[in-house]
Amino acid sequence: MKTPPSYRMKTRMVMVLAAMIVFGFCVVIHSLFQIQIVQGAELQERALGQQMRTERIGAKRGDILDTNGKALAKNSTIYQICVSPGDLKIKVGENADKMKEKRSAVIKCLEEILGCNPDTVAEALDNTASFYVVVKKKVEQDDYQRLMQEVNAKDLKNVIFGEEMTWRRYPYGSLASTVLGFTNNDNVGAAGLESYYEKTLAGTPGRIVSLRTQGGAVMPMQYEQTYDAKNGNTLVLTIDEQIQHYLEKNLEIAVSEHRVKNRVTGIIMDVETAAILAMTTKPDFDPNDPYTITDPDWLQQLQEAQEESFQQESVARTEEEKAAAKKIYTDKLWVARNTLWRNKAVSDPYEPGSVFKIMTLSTALETGAATVNSHYNCIGYVEVAGRKIHCHVWNSRHSGHGDQDLTQATMNSCNPAFIRIGQSIGTARFSEYFSNFGLTQGTDIDLPGEANSIYHARLSDADLASSAFGQTNKLTPIQLITACCAAVNGGKLMQPYVVKQVVDSDGNVVSNTAPFVKRQVISEKTSEEVRGILEKVVSEGSGRQARIPGYRIGGKTGTSEKLDQADSTTGDIPHILSFFGFAPADDPKVACLVLLDEPDVYNAWGSTIAAPIVGSILSDVLPHMGIEPQYTAEELDKMTNQVPYLINFDLHDAESELRIRGMRYRVIGSGSKVLQQIPGAMETLPEEGSVVLYTDEVQEDNVIEVPNVVGKSPEEANSTLAGLGLNVYMNGGKLEGVASIAISQSPEAGARVPSGSVITVEFTERDPAVENTLSADSPEEGDGE
Amino acid sequence: MSQRNNSGAARRRREASAVPEPRRVRPVPKRKLENKKMTRGHGASRPAKRGVRAKPVKARIGSMDYTFLMLVLVLVTVGLIMMFSASYPAALNATGDSFYFIKRQLLFAIVGVAAMFVASRVPFQILHRFALLLYGLSIVLLIVVLLLPEQSGVHRWITIPGVINIQPSEIAKFSIVVLFAHLISINYEKMKDPRYGIWPFLALLGVICVLMVLEPHLSGTILILGIGIIMMFVGGADVKWFFMGGLAAAVLVAIVALMPGIIPYAQTRLNFWLDPWSAPRNEGYQTCQSLLAIGSGGLFGVGIGNSRQKHLYLPEPQNDFVFSIVCEELGLVGAVLIILVFVLLIWRGYVIAMRCRDRFGSMLAVGLITQVAIQTILNIAVVTNTIPNTGISLPFFSYGGTSLVMLLGQMGFVLSVSRQTTLEKLE
Repeated sequence: MKTPPSYRMKTRMVMVLAAMIVFGFCVVIHSLFQIQIVQGAELQERALGQQMRTERIGAKRGDILDTNGKALAKNSTIYQICVSPGDLKIKVGENADKMKEKRSAVIKCLEEILGCNPDTVAEALDNTASFYVVVKKKVEQDDYQRLMQEVNAKDLKNVIFGEEMTWRRYPYGSLASTVLGFTNNDNVGAAGLESYYEKTLAGTPGRIVSLRTQGGAVMPMQYEQTYDAKNGNTLVLTIDEQIQHYLEKNLEIAVSEHRVKNRVTGIIMDVETAAILAMTTKPDFDPNDPYTITDPDWLQQLQEAQEESFQQESVARTEEEKAAAKKIYTDKLWVARNTLWRNKAVSDPYEPGSVFKIMTLSTALETGAATVNSHYNCIGYVEVAGRKIHCHVWNSRHSGHGDQDLTQATMNSCNPAFIRIGQSIGTARFSEYFSNFGLTQGTDIDLPGEANSIYHARLSDADLASSAFGQTNKLTPIQLITACCAAVNGGKLMQPYVVKQVVDSDGNVVSNTAPFVKRQVISEKTSEEVRGILEKVVSEGSGRQARIPGYRIGGKTGTSEKLDQADSTTGDIPHILSFFGFAPADDPKVACLVLLDEPDVYNAWGSTIAAPIVGSILSDVLPHMGIEPQYTAEELDKMTNQVPYLINFDLHDAESELRIRGMRYRVIGSGSKVLQQIPGAMETLPEEGSVVLYTDEVQEDNVIEVPNVVGKSPEEANSTLAGLGLNVYMNGGKLEGVASIAISQSPEAGARVPSGSVITVEFTERDPAVENTLSADSPEEGDGE
Repeated sequence: MSQRNNSGAARRRREASAVPEPRRVRPVPKRKLENKKMTRGHGASRPAKRGVRAKPVKARIGSMDYTFLMLVLVLVTVGLIMMFSASYPAALNATGDSFYFIKRQLLFAIVGVAAMFVASRVPFQILHRFALLLYGLSIVLLIVVLLLPEQSGVHRWITIPGVINIQPSEIAKFSIVVLFAHLISINYEKMKDPRYGIWPFLALLGVICVLMVLEPHLSGTILILGIGIIMMFVGGADVKWFFMGGLAAAVLVAIVALMPGIIPYAQTRLNFWLDPWSAPRNEGYQTCQSLLAIGSGGLFGVGIGNSRQKHLYLPEPQNDFVFSIVCEELGLVGAVLIILVFVLLIWRGYVIAMRCRDRFGSMLAVGLITQVAIQTILNIAVVTNTIPNTGISLPFFSYGGTSLVMLLGQMGFVLSVSRQTTLEKLE
């Protein structure tokens, strides 16, 4: 047995060893090299991908403030209330009655405090396999706390619980909603400023990056890094909540007054800086609940669509037909939402009509194609490129405006005259100034969805003619008002903007928006001439209804035909009525453009409909801006104290009538037509009194019981009565600084009168001797004096 | 006779013989080993009991191969450290005790090292007698394990709870090595004759393999086949048979590869091997996680203890995939160094085999060391996805008490072979 291994065995051992090293160990070392060195970086990244967990630290979204710091959008904490039906499951060997009792307590609790439908809650509780069913979203802090008290008291803690959430809140509801936009369910901006400034507002969520085991636990002694959250910045807007409110109030009235089909848009701009003071399109939406349609017209359309949808579904045979039937409603809903969300002021170009004549006028004066002394003869029409273009007076008069100078032509908004002016400017210069006024590109305002204008790059003669009076080219309202401001502010085309300041969460200013002059379009002198002519338009021309006593208003009406949307069967052409106004005319501070897209009115002209709206808006806005009225002698003369007949007037017209007379007024009701006025027509309005216009039937709560003012001083009597909304007519010895006393009143104390009624109070000079004996029940005594 | 006297005498004799030995003048480590051995004096009693039954082949004992011993001890030590590093998150997760695996492994390592020293003192020739007996025992155990209830879906372990948990295949491996060494040493002259050199071996191997495939235990089968075939080759069987076998295997592989469906799951397994990323969450999960671990290591590794993949990403980090964590923590440099220690160990094992004056001892060493080599290569090939995933553990590193004890015991027999070599040289 003791034989050593043979040579062959040894050779073979060496062979095996060599083979194992070459084919075994070298191969695996090669594999390791491949994996660790060649693919190392990639695999390491992949490994980190599964090992790293990132936890978000939420960043607080910035607020949106108006120019005075009022919050237009802010965050609030709300709760989502959930139930856990699984915890009400009746387990074997447990008291079933107790569970049933608990169950009814849950239903009762939710119904009483949150107003949940008991049936839906009961249904949710039936699903005992679940431990998480949301029963009510968006529960306020107060309600949540009340609920939790009740839950603790009744020991329902496991069954009812709340989840804290951050919700974007818009305290002013629909105010400026088309500008502000809204956030989606993930608190990400979905429209308007919320979307345009998403990055600024959202901030940067922080992260905790750590290595986690497969189970998710933090690895011991391992890498962890925290990146702090950076809260979003706050936007301070140029928009003034109060001005925005005035604009919206007036446009809301206009929508119902004129049954406007395609919404009403209005922009108020600081003439000097092109800062947007207010911007809206009505009807709009409530950003607190952007998906719900509240506009009655759209609601009706949706209901019709739903009915049609149901009807088609009931007769539908195939699944596709059913789906198509359902789609009728859902499509309509999306059209409604998208329409109401749309910011027409920047997104929808339209043919500006005669408002554009401001540009033509400015260009003509600047280029010398016309001077204030130029004369134009209007015979009712003009022939351009073999086609007759009529003046707007042709239909009524079958003649023209006759001979007019440039100012008169503008006041009359005479199309043939402006065609002539356009022709004398010529296509080249017209196009140059068109472009200089910033009308060939967007304004770059800081709002999403800005559309560009649609214009002729090369004008034919016919194009030039119609362009000159504002047809053919389509401009967005923001482009138009910016260009119009340039025409009246001394010729500077400004960059319009909405956000004037960005502030970080600690209140430090991050950035300020400085007004930016894009270019000098026309000279200061031309601009002054334009201002003068446009003031005449309001004081004496087609814009008369925008007049406000005490203020110098300039403006231009516009009536544009939507020729491209003419009804093919009836030939009816829908209109857009607009008015651009600015004040004060000698040193413009504020400008307002209002346009009504397809108002449903007979013989609609911008002069009769849009102008009084702008007048009404400016009469609210100017005092708010601290621009005090300065009455001219002529205006003071015109001011009477006889109330005009206003019943059945459109509200804006009635307001315009009263404004011209310098009368103060109040509107009661939400209608758009005046149903009753107090004092009545031809009655005398007491000094410092105000006319009350009723747009709804007089309601019981507007009837006021007349208080007793006998024995009171004039100041006391006045404040008592005026405070109740009554007008006071003071008779007798009412003298400032002299002791007077009321000795009688009519109607008597205790009578019930509508708001605004005039109470006549007789005063007499106070006799110190009778002061002590004078009592309320001795009116006759003073009667004789 | 008394084993104590026997061992005592042997010690004394070796002390005497160590000094004059010209090749190894390394007194310091030697003395250290002496001391160790003395503390475990009583551990040497059990194998010596067998010595009672064995006839006293040799009264004298030579010096063992210290290079080999050192390499084994280095691997056991590094293996324990790395197994602990790789296993504590899994241990914590599974048992709540980070030290669960290492405590047991350490215990078995101590027992194993003791067993190694004991085995190194046992004259390996006694295994001649046990060759057939061991083989028979393996067959019985392999049949018994098939009759026992399944664990994890396979019949692989014989468990007496709390006492022992053995794999009959481990014993079968050892028995094949011993039996083949035995047969080769007695039939060496006739090995060229297939009747002696091929068929008996194949038959013996075949029975074991069939039983193991029934468990099923494919990786073990491959291992045993590999060991058996290499032993036959070294033993002197005609080379043409290996070519023929290789050809047959190649044809078989080609058939499986070209005709998907012959073995139902082979094709999909092949696909997951070729592209584990096609199913990183399912079939390819373990492989992908292993690659991620190895790749994360880069050149120098993330540092010992800093593996991230061991945190429950990589399944069984204490077991078959311990080397992935080694690669992640020690990098390419560390992994290659450890591979180098393995290579040195294998080289030293073969040196011992070549130097042995006894064919049986030589073949025994070849078989035992080949087992370590194949297992190491296959394990690293699996974790690097060089070959499809089969469950092969890494010697000295993977968790597993009985197999570690058996492995160290087998290394003891290699040392035993080396002792006699040096002894005979002296003579």
